[in-house]
Amino acid sequence: MSDPHKPIQASEEISEFEVLELALRELAIEKGLFSAEDHRRFSEWAESIGPSNGSKMVAKAWTDPEFKKRLLENGTEASKEVGIDWTDPTGTGTPSDYTFFYVLENTPQVHNVIVCTLCSCYPRPVLGMSPDWYRTPNYRRRMVRRPREVLAEFGLHFPSDVEVRVHDSNQKSRFMVMPMRPEGTDGWTEEQLEKIVTRDTMIGVALPSADWDASKAPSAGGGK
Amino acid sequence: MTPKFKVGDRVVVKDQTSLFHTRTQAFVRNQEGTVVEHRPDWVIPEDEAFDKLETGRKEPFYVVRFKQTDLWPRYTGFAVDTLETECAEGWLRPAGKNE
Amino acid sequence: MTATQGYEVILRTLKSGGERVGDLDDTDRKPDPWESAMQATCECLSWRGSWDNLERRHTEDELGETIYDQFPVHSRSAITTAHTFLDRGIVSQDELQEKMTQIRARLERS
Repeated sequence: MSDPHKPIQASEEISEFEVLELALRELAIEKGLFSAEDHRRFSEWAESIGPSNGSKMVAKAWTDPEFKKRLLENGTEASKEVGIDWTDPTGTGTPSDYTFFYVLENTPQVHNVIVCTLCSCYPRPVLGMSPDWYRTPNYRRRMVRRPREVLAEFGLHFPSDVEVRVHDSNQKSRFMVMPMRPEGTDGWTEEQLEKIVTRDTMIGVALPSADWDASKAPSAGGGK
Repeated sequence: MTPKFKVGDRVVVKDQTSLFHTRTQAFVRNQEGTVVEHRPDWVIPEDEAFDKLETGRKEPFYVVRFKQTDLWPRYTGFAVDTLETECAEGWLRPAGKNE
Repeated sequence: MTATQGYEVILRTLKSGGERVGDLDDTDRKPDPWESAMQATCECLSWRGSWDNLERRHTEDELGETIYDQFPVHSRSAITTAHTFLDRGIVSQDELQEKMTQIRARLERS
């Protein structure tokens, strides 16, 4: 391990892949395949979106049984109630990329988890950009074949009488998991509940907990 | 369009020669599952790939649920586990019949 | 279709001290900024009509499992994009190498 106080040598730090990335980008821009502004704006947007829309929907469903019913019956329509129009090209895709949105309700008997084996599609309008691990062949291949092993790697275990239901989003539909409301949240406001509905709980590789909202590092007291 | 299959029907995924943009996964070919939900009619992926969103052939779509123990001979999970995926009608035939 | 062997300019990125591949890409590793930038490039290529995302993903899987299987998984977008640009004649190997040399010099100047 190198001395953290030693001045960084530039050539140590710059990998060939980093150079390749920039080279491809600049060449693409020079050839007119897209503009530098396109690239900058995309990056800026990608970093700005996150799972807050999804969290809102779950928190609302937990506190409003009528909304929950609407959300489960027609996710695409109910999304509009929190300001998401799946058919509006907002830069998260176009109507030809995805068209229908379904929310998968976890129950004591069924645990849902999402994957896209073909290409790692993801419900961006509600969850933001997909995590890197979600796009790996590792996850995409193994989640359909060995879901419980992959879930165990995320720290999740279910007994033999709970159905682990994997959803492979191979067509036009996009999915999000509605986790069950955890214990210790009685009387919480929607705002408080939103915070504990984290990205991973809506993919299905985690369960929400009253003591974890992903806003602080666990080592800094963000979790027990 | 009237869907050919009802919720609860047992269906088998055909193993058709597919154009390169098919969305029917290899691991569901020739597998038998249950229709659990209808999905809206949409342009089939094979036509969509050729940019025929306006004029492409539409078909009903279905959510088909498979038992994991059927899909994977050496499945290491439990018998209760399932996998769901969406299929265009043209890729399904009724279980128990040969075509 | 695509070439059946890796392009030299791409293969060289691994030989010259790039990361070696392990059995599985370490799921704990944090992505480097260039990976997000590469993703943005791929998205822009799809958005502006050069190269559809789905097609790119298929090519990434194909090349990553065959001619570039010694490369780490997280580099697949970069090497697949490079390979496709070369295949399509968008750039030549010389052009790409020259650009990479310029960029390295620029980044190291300070």
